[in-house]
Amino acid sequence: MVINDDLRSFPFPFGDSQVYKYSNNATPLRPPNAIELTDKYIDEIRLKRELLTNHPERCYQSSSQTLDAQWEIVDLILHNLVGYYPDQFKLEKKDEQWIFTNLQTKENIAFTFGDRTTLEVEPLDFIGRHVQEDLLLMMQRDGDLFLDAGQLCFPANWSLFFNVGMTFKEIHSPIPGFQSESLDDRILQFLMRIEAGTPWGRKNWSLMAGNKLDTSLETFAEWGQARKQVTKENAGKLVHLRVEVQKLFRLPQSNGILFTIHSHMLPLERFIQHTPWLEQFYAILHELPAFISDYKGISLYRQQVLEYLVEEMKKR
Amino acid sequence: MYRNSTIQVRVSNIQEETSTIKRFTLQAMDDSILPSFSGGSHITTFLPHPSGTLEKHYSIFNVSGKTGLFEIAVRLAEDSSGGSRYWHQNVQVGDVLPVSYPKNYFPVSFQAKHHVFYAAGIGITPFLSMMAELAKKNKSFELHYAAKSKQQCAFYDYLQNVFPNQCHFYFSNGDSTERLSPTQLLNHRIGTHVYFCGPESMIHDFTIAAKAYGYPSFHIHFERFAPRSIKEKHAFPIKMKKRDTELEVPANSSLLEVLLQNGIKIPYSCRVGGCGTCEVKVVDGEVIHFDSFLSEEQQLSNQTMLCCVSRGKGRLVLDI
Repeated sequence: MVINDDLRSFPFPFGDSQVYKYSNNATPLRPPNAIELTDKYIDEIRLKRELLTNHPERCYQSSSQTLDAQWEIVDLILHNLVGYYPDQFKLEKKDEQWIFTNLQTKENIAFTFGDRTTLEVEPLDFIGRHVQEDLLLMMQRDGDLFLDAGQLCFPANWSLFFNVGMTFKEIHSPIPGFQSESLDDRILQFLMRIEAGTPWGRKNWSLMAGNKLDTSLETFAEWGQARKQVTKENAGKLVHLRVEVQKLFRLPQSNGILFTIHSHMLPLERFIQHTPWLEQFYAILHELPAFISDYKGISLYRQQVLEYLVEEMKKR
Repeated sequence: MYRNSTIQVRVSNIQEETSTIKRFTLQAMDDSILPSFSGGSHITTFLPHPSGTLEKHYSIFNVSGKTGLFEIAVRLAEDSSGGSRYWHQNVQVGDVLPVSYPKNYFPVSFQAKHHVFYAAGIGITPFLSMMAELAKKNKSFELHYAAKSKQQCAFYDYLQNVFPNQCHFYFSNGDSTERLSPTQLLNHRIGTHVYFCGPESMIHDFTIAAKAYGYPSFHIHFERFAPRSIKEKHAFPIKMKKRDTELEVPANSSLLEVLLQNGIKIPYSCRVGGCGTCEVKVVDGEVIHFDSFLSEEQQLSNQTMLCCVSRGKGRLVLDI
């Protein structure tokens, strides 16, 4: 079997579990890097910038009290970029005069750190245009977490425009079963205890009919139709495993939390090349409770995918 | 267990603020700068000690005006268990020690219309960074600060100089006519958040008074650096349900210490009942809570406890 780069770099989302269960599956993030570059960098950056230009309201939201935290995010991500990818990014600093060079996009950007007027867009919007991740800022205010700013181009069926300003629990209230055993309280307490210097990471997975990264709630009518077209025969190509690598960083100056989401997609036929992954994925999808399958938007074509996986297992 | 990251810092300056309080300036090892921090933040310092590393928590601030530094103030405690004595007697300029990243369990309220800080003695320290943050954001605040005398009042000149219109001082030796009293809480308008830091008795009196005067509980904030003093500690037995093992917690040890000593890896952080990291589930038995993290409702449920400070009133069965 040939393992290509797309498979090698694909984040395996299942651990060693055979069943899906809600949990706080976060682990300390090593190395503590907020961003990751893949070979899709240029394509995805281009797509992000197109979406931001054409749909600014959908892709970028911020409230006025977040500017300081936005600069903190710029500081963190720029230093991650030049620290982990020194051959692709350069940063020159002279006091507050910063010059950022992105060698892949061939851009040179000079600005005064902390001075909003020296950038064309807000700091969070600026830095988000240089990374594949979606960037969300939660501010801790009066004992709760609020989604106060975000740049979101690749949502898995949710709306930043709708959710901005909401608390963590309000945002997650549509998830079935999330309130049982006070799981929402526990995860909120966990998030509020995250400390600077100790970032966390977790993975989340779903299935997508189609290969679009920009599956916003606003455009569901366009991309949601593909769910009806899944058959046992086309599932391997049409259905994609979508994995979000999520990372959480405390911002010590503003006391906010940066939440980065890197969305990876792989057609099922590529993912199941490795037989143990095929068998584990079949077990998990087979046991997935109906309410989770409904929430993830899989129910309409789960049976077709299961039949496809059975066929594939017979071939091995 | 997973250990949080630390930063190596060098002591770059030691300043005697009063006869019992020293200010230590900590800087990064190389030319870099230390992380910024929000108002009310603290760090944990790790000090060498014959009985093992001493973990002590200190509010951080920056009164020297240079960015990228941590400053802490340490009062030499008469009954020091080693931390303040070590800082005062052993630490020299140039020394290198590990400290934690800034943490904040005592942030300023976002929704407050006005902030009032009540400090006694060394309790001033968290308010130094909080006032600096509020001043930068043009927010409304005032400080009421009690000390034995003007000489014993740390940062008196700094406060008079930087926040001349917001500070009120109270000296118990007679230098000022007024004494700091909880009845002053009656003077603040609706929308005020109040913050207390000082000895246990002071926090207790002000908190009780604020509640009695009708302050909503989420308008009342306080921070204690030592765990709430436990007048009489008793030994208690525990049973660990998942391991089917029994242990005895002696009167002079915490439950967390006993668990760690027995190789049970309970995550923990602050060790004074403030951060909630060491929470364990209680199956049976009555808990005496000494933490300031769990809500009253959570405490009364008797189903959970912070094992760094809280104890059993008799035998406890724990879900670990």
